[in-house]
Amino acid sequence: MDTKKRELDVRGRKVALIEAGAGTPLVYLHGFADVHGVVADLLPFHQELAKRCQLFVPAHPGCNGSDDFDQGNKIEDYLFHYCEVFDALGLGRFAIAGHCVGGWIAAEFAVRYPERITHLALIGASGLFVPGEHIGDIFINSQLDRGTSLASLRHMLFASDKAAQALRYYPDGRGDLDEETRRYAMLRFGSAIGFKPPYFYNRPLIDRLYRAAMPSVVVWGADDHMVPVAHGHAYAERLGRTQPLKLVDGAGHAVHLEKPDEVLAQIAPVLAA
Amino acid sequence: MSKPVQLFCWHFMAYPYLPADFDEKYDSGWITVPNKLWDREKTKGLLNEYIDQLAYADTLGFDGMVLNEHHQNIYGLMPSPNIIASALTQKTSNGKIVVLANLLPLHGNPLRVAEEYAMLDNMSNGRVIAGFAPGGGQETFNYNTPAAIQREQFWEAVDLIHEAWTREGPFAFEGKHYPLRYVNLWPLPTQKPYPQVWIPGARSRETMRQVAERGYCYFLSSRTHGGAVAGARREFTKILEDAGGRYDPFRMGILMSAYVAETDEQARQESQEGVWYFLKNCLKGHLRNFQGRSMTSGPGIPNMSVSDYRRILENSKPGGAMLGDADDWDALQKAQSIVVGSPETVYRQIMDFIRETQVGNLLIQFHLGNMRDDLARKSMRLFATEVAPRLREESRVAFAGHYPEMADAV
Repeated sequence: MDTKKRELDVRGRKVALIEAGAGTPLVYLHGFADVHGVVADLLPFHQELAKRCQLFVPAHPGCNGSDDFDQGNKIEDYLFHYCEVFDALGLGRFAIAGHCVGGWIAAEFAVRYPERITHLALIGASGLFVPGEHIGDIFINSQLDRGTSLASLRHMLFASDKAAQALRYYPDGRGDLDEETRRYAMLRFGSAIGFKPPYFYNRPLIDRLYRAAMPSVVVWGADDHMVPVAHGHAYAERLGRTQPLKLVDGAGHAVHLEKPDEVLAQIAPVLAA
Repeated sequence: MSKPVQLFCWHFMAYPYLPADFDEKYDSGWITVPNKLWDREKTKGLLNEYIDQLAYADTLGFDGMVLNEHHQNIYGLMPSPNIIASALTQKTSNGKIVVLANLLPLHGNPLRVAEEYAMLDNMSNGRVIAGFAPGGGQETFNYNTPAAIQREQFWEAVDLIHEAWTREGPFAFEGKHYPLRYVNLWPLPTQKPYPQVWIPGARSRETMRQVAERGYCYFLSSRTHGGAVAGARREFTKILEDAGGRYDPFRMGILMSAYVAETDEQARQESQEGVWYFLKNCLKGHLRNFQGRSMTSGPGIPNMSVSDYRRILENSKPGGAMLGDADDWDALQKAQSIVVGSPETVYRQIMDFIRETQVGNLLIQFHLGNMRDDLARKSMRLFATEVAPRLREESRVAFAGHYPEMADAV
């Protein structure tokens, strides 16, 4: 499979982009434990997606070499950033998938421009306010415990803080310099988009989900310690096409890294619909 | 004769009634420290006791009293330092009232800060030194201020306040974060053109540059000194010169802690409970790395650019000891942050420090942790009567040698 990395010029702003595969277009928007969020390359989950379609994976502003976007600090401003990114890619109608804040942005885009989105896939997506079900505080958990431990961050992002992948991407002490820098950049983006209004949600979004009536799928790790499963149920029930939530056992927030095959098994048929 | 070192008394107003097993049982003295530990009976009169200690500092001839702003913690019970400053305007008559600082991004509208400082300046007959700060990591969590835009908001707020004090109103302020149609301050500050402004920083060159350009005083907010203060002073001097200015000792301030008693031995004995309470409890969640989680700075408070953060990673190791990790007097001595001893010892250490660093504003914390009122007062009195006069005399000589242009200054 042909994988290309390039820098997209979006009205003078540099956007780091990975493209792979061929076929109908699919945009993937990343989360924290993800491509661009910690590693520079596609992971097995994304590579499998690219076997089925033409995959576009832009890095959020400030992340993995993308320029900062200093023209705003609300979800609205970043949606406009993505309008310009999709225009620069020449995408008319396309499928969109996203994880965590990437899923939030995908959902916001789908309710605003349903005519442009053919299919929607949400994986552990933030974005909703669900009373009593708080999205975890990734910022406080990114502060090293006793100066070196990231166990609570790993617990937030994975089913187990001792899982090999969790330890690989979020080791205690000092990790790989490039990966630490990417993680920081992703937190900075998260702070800009998700700190205020607080903690990765946009209150009105839930009442707008009905507008996203394209074929869609909502996948969640049953042990998601960052975005509670209740948020998955809320998405599944409130999207334009009501559906059961697809829960993956033995996986946490980064379900697509932990159980890529099972997430693909849920997503692929919907994208092919 | 050159102007002598300026000696200020800083009170942090710690919560002094934590249980003896606090460090074992609780992760942090900040943000999440459960407020069931607040004792409504024991704390009756506590804030007034602290205010009276500062008023006592004024009668002892300190050049000023220093307050600061922190939220939801046991380190400092002053979420609104302006309220304490207001009391000091009525209880003191000589020293400067230094508020270091109001945390601007925490205020919905920074115009309120411009107004309150102007009121305090009027009430104190022009004795206010106005501090501005963006807030540390703790405040991003306590007040939900997004770290990513905190500095941008901060500098815009600083400029709004400065203009509100100095420009003829009404005028429109075309800010990105604080757009205002009508800026027209009543009352204006007493001091002309405006109260002295101090801005704390942790050696970020960007902060130094902004402070230099605006003609403010730079306060190095680090509690651990060693050679870092002299290094910061050299960096700030260079930045001032690049901006067409010059360094003099009163462009910079530094925080230290002191306890003075009749002898070295007595000083250690009397201060040890307060010192270790302060280090182990008050600094837990702030300047302690080996226990709990420091919330002061780090990846979870992404307030600096990605390239600045990477530079810090390249030049540091994770998990290094911080001030609160010291576990004996020798380790503490090395940090050069808390000076404990007889008047002679304290004089010598501080004078060496002044000579080495050439910093002219010393902001000294006397009350540490759960220190008793009588001990804090005795230490302040011994400092004021037996240490301060010698520091003033010697520092005039030390500064005049380095800054002959200041020799005529009073």
